[in-house]
Amino acid sequence: MQDQLSALLAKAATELPAIHTRPEFEAAKARFVGPNGELTALMKQMGSVPKEQKPVVGKLVNEAKTALQAHLDAALARIEAAALAAQLGPAVDPTLPSPDRAPGTHHPLTLVREEMTRILRKVGFTVVEGPEVETEYYCFDALNTPSDHPARDAQDTFYLPESARFGNVSKKNPNEKYLLRTHTSSVQIRTMLKGEPPIRIVSPGRVYRRDTTDATHSANFHQLECLYVDKNVSVRDLKALLDYIFASLLGKDTKTRFRPHYFGYTEPSFEVDLSAKHLPKVNKDWIEIGGCGMVDPVVFKDVGYDPEVWSGYAFGMGLERLAMLLYGIDDIRYFYQNDVRFLRQFA
Amino acid sequence: MKLSLSWLQSYVDLTGVSADDISRAITFLGFEVEQVIHTGAPKFNQVVVGHILTRDKHPNADKLAVCTVDVGEASGGVRTIVCGAPNCDVGNRVPVALPGAVLPGDFVIKEAKVRGQASSGMMCSAKELTLAEDAQGLLLLAGEPTVGTPINEVLPAGDTVFDIEITPNRPDCLSHLGVARELAAWFKKDLAYPSVSFTPAAITANPRVDLLKSVRVEAATDCPLYTATVVTGVKVGPSPDWIQQRLTAVGLRPINNVVDIGNYVMLEYGQPVHAFDAQKLAGAEIVVRHATEGEKITTLDDKARVLSANMLVIADATKPVVIAGIMGSADSGVSSDTTDLVLEVAYFKRQSVRATAKRLGLSSDSSYRYERGVDVHSLDEAAHRFIDLILAHAGGQVAGPIHRVGADIPWEREITVTPAYINEKLGFEIPADAIRTALESLELSVVREEDTESRGPAWTFSVPSWRDDLDRPIDLVEEVVRLHGTEKIPTSVITAPGLVGNDDPIVLFNRMVSSAFVGQGFNECVNYTLRPAKELAAWATPAAVADLALANPFVEDQSHLRNTLVSGLLESLKLNQSRGVAVSHLFETGRVFIERNGQLSECVAAAFVIAEETGERSWRTREPADFYTAKRHTATIAALAGIELERQPTALVAAPALGWQEGHAATAGNIQHGWTSTFGLVSLAHLKSLGITGKVYAGFFAMVSEKVTADADRRGYKPFSLQPAALRDLAIIVPGTTTAAEVQKALAKVARAAVGNAFALEAVNVFDVYQGKGLPEGTKSLAYSLVFRATDRTLTDDEVNAVFTKIQDDLVKATGWSIRK
Repeated sequence: MQDQLSALLAKAATELPAIHTRPEFEAAKARFVGPNGELTALMKQMGSVPKEQKPVVGKLVNEAKTALQAHLDAALARIEAAALAAQLGPAVDPTLPSPDRAPGTHHPLTLVREEMTRILRKVGFTVVEGPEVETEYYCFDALNTPSDHPARDAQDTFYLPESARFGNVSKKNPNEKYLLRTHTSSVQIRTMLKGEPPIRIVSPGRVYRRDTTDATHSANFHQLECLYVDKNVSVRDLKALLDYIFASLLGKDTKTRFRPHYFGYTEPSFEVDLSAKHLPKVNKDWIEIGGCGMVDPVVFKDVGYDPEVWSGYAFGMGLERLAMLLYGIDDIRYFYQNDVRFLRQFA
Repeated sequence: MKLSLSWLQSYVDLTGVSADDISRAITFLGFEVEQVIHTGAPKFNQVVVGHILTRDKHPNADKLAVCTVDVGEASGGVRTIVCGAPNCDVGNRVPVALPGAVLPGDFVIKEAKVRGQASSGMMCSAKELTLAEDAQGLLLLAGEPTVGTPINEVLPAGDTVFDIEITPNRPDCLSHLGVARELAAWFKKDLAYPSVSFTPAAITANPRVDLLKSVRVEAATDCPLYTATVVTGVKVGPSPDWIQQRLTAVGLRPINNVVDIGNYVMLEYGQPVHAFDAQKLAGAEIVVRHATEGEKITTLDDKARVLSANMLVIADATKPVVIAGIMGSADSGVSSDTTDLVLEVAYFKRQSVRATAKRLGLSSDSSYRYERGVDVHSLDEAAHRFIDLILAHAGGQVAGPIHRVGADIPWEREITVTPAYINEKLGFEIPADAIRTALESLELSVVREEDTESRGPAWTFSVPSWRDDLDRPIDLVEEVVRLHGTEKIPTSVITAPGLVGNDDPIVLFNRMVSSAFVGQGFNECVNYTLRPAKELAAWATPAAVADLALANPFVEDQSHLRNTLVSGLLESLKLNQSRGVAVSHLFETGRVFIERNGQLSECVAAAFVIAEETGERSWRTREPADFYTAKRHTATIAALAGIELERQPTALVAAPALGWQEGHAATAGNIQHGWTSTFGLVSLAHLKSLGITGKVYAGFFAMVSEKVTADADRRGYKPFSLQPAALRDLAIIVPGTTTAAEVQKALAKVARAAVGNAFALEAVNVFDVYQGKGLPEGTKSLAYSLVFRATDRTLTDDEVNAVFTKIQDDLVKATGWSIRK
């Protein structure tokens, strides 16, 4: 019996390492320990072992069973490890670049617009949109632009033919012409006509000027405009907004200053200068960044707000100009060429 | 507008104020300073007046002389200086740069030897002192200036010129007097008006009706006031130096005393004036009238111009001699032999001058001022100043009373304001007396003062006639803050109460599309809205292209509104390809304009392109994009607009169509219902014509802007089963032309009916499409995986098989298709 057990273990020790597949293993396992296996056959002989030898033989059988199971386990572990290893190719070269395409990129104008609206939202401004095709009323009349103002000239503003019809751009007067808005201020008017004060909105968007395209001019560009209407809004509040915006955008050492200016729809009106010496390509002390002022009472009257009750301010700026300052871009046309080498720089 | 500092100084004393401070003042008064130009001599050190005592030939050079020059005791007395100028003659007084002097261009003067001869300084020409562009020989100093005097004390002082931009609301500042008034207010100085000695009462001479018998205004609306004065016996010649210098400083070329004085008065008062040669006025009359259609005039710039009926002219008996307020004719002007003048000072309506100037494409200093608006109430004063200066510098006498046609235009304007109101609008405190002083310094005067019940004093100011822009209390707020100094507006924190609404749904849509596509590896592009007609022709019918045209395009390649974003993205692809830049995935969001119910609609849109040819080789290739890639990305956009694209009817682009490849692109949606989309392969022929390499898949989605709404409905939660699923696969043989959507729909319908309420049909997924060997000609096989599941138990094979058999039978019965065994 002992010899038989030893022979069985020796057989297992030689046969099992030669097995490389799971089916072969299962067959071998059946041969050794299955119901018709060799160990099982030996165990059946236990009945014929004399009673006094039973403890000794039983111990031997158990030891052999354990040893045999160890052989089987080792073989199975080896086969399974080999099966997993077979799923793998050779080790990767981790220094090869990923062949998948690089992450996408937001356009710098989107980044600047989103950053500005995020900053403004913190102080309660909501983003609104308006049509890019506008009418003379919303773009000029309601903004106190005299009927002979040069901005209205066909030389400076794009008009649609008189035959043009727009299904979703409302006209105030049946005879007014459609045009491409020259500023986002038209959104102020639509917002005020639609709602009731208090109002606090920011309207970023595309505007159009009949200009020669060069490094600083473009037939279309983008503006961002803020409007706040409430009771007792003052010049000081306006200054506080501008200080807040640019300190948020460019850091606490940023300063703004107002210079008196003229816009038809604000009174008083100012141009806003910025001082942020750490900006690239800005070596002047002050750079002009936008225009602002207190909403002119005429504008309020036109939209049906009582100027004795309501006051407000408006601020507008060019997004390309801001992006050019922030990133040190020196040609506005790059925004519209979409050279991927340009686009990838702002991710 | 250019302003001469020395000219301004004649109205306001700015002694001791630096040019920088004046420039700053102008800036904070609200006028942008574009340029500050210094004329005349710069400040020199160690350059003094020298007197040439002797002159000898240089022993070693023919063209050089050796001079001894007295430069004064303080500068070392008599020095020996080698000089190459021809006019270093004995007795001349010239500028001498002493050793140590630095001339413009960092030219340092040193003790030197010139061809072996010691030279202790340099005698200077006007060019070397930057007083002239060019000079022959030394600058000779006239008037025997004292030897040793620093040269700046001898040279004319020069001037500082400010080139500033005057905002359209301030035509009064298109004059030296107007800007001087502002500076006087800023620096708290007095303003001195020019002293005008002429008065109409002083005229003694008889009228010369032979020169001007009548002035007739036939167009009083466009010319409310016209004055003409005859001056006889003038002598045309150069104007005095000071006038010439001032005009030159501000960029005008001196011509003769009469013309120069006219320009001078215009730049002084802002009132354009004009002088005719009286002898050249046919019929001795002036008629202010509208031109007759087609009437011709050759203007001073020697251009023949054809007038039309609404243009105002000043005419004599036979012909127009001036286009009113814009420019005179070449032949009525003053010439060197002119002796008798008619001086015109008139008020023309800005609209009239503007329309004519624009129509003729002709503008002048005069028309610019009329267009902005001149002060009719200052007209007489300017006219008298004009006469004064003519009499003083061209001689002659006024012949007869001034012809003055037109009614006096009354001026009275008062604004009542309280300091409390002003401070409330400003949000910070300016003392009441400072407010009053500021307004008074601009020549607003308090005509009444009352006490209000709760808001302190109320002042009623009278507004001077040249400040037509001041009309309401708010206008005075601006004047006060201007003079207070906008730099002094205090910084504070935002006190606005919370008032946050929701961002516009369009903003949200664009933001989400942008994030989604950036997340998928696309580069966001921004293209121009205005496109060339020939580009749009690939994306719209000829009729639609015509509707997208602008009335007044500026350049041919930006003449039409875009109706798609794809064409711009293709342009971007092309640009990158032609620059050799790797590019494949681009997208854009923006507005487009699409025909809807016979009208254009402004639409919110998003589009993408995927180029097969990336321009970049990779060590491992990835599966290329195809139609279904484009469909997935388009569905992403649609989903963000609240539309489930997979559930929408989709139509194959079956015929050659706008920009898209037939058989390989599809449309879903219809702009009539508010949205549209197209996706798939861009027409290969179109790509070829654009010069783009490789296939391009694209997608475009547009929605009428008002239909983009924030869907606030929160979806309900549906419980799901935790039991195992039962799967069955089914292949169906259908005619080759039958679409997957039709099969899916039919199969889902019978399957749902067969399942009934017993358990649930969870999904019907197509997993194989086959056409070819083993199938009848003209058919294809679509294989579907059906997923069944119960909520309460594990399904038995029997119950699933029963249903599955019924589904097959029912489907065959309902459709006539067969089941592939």
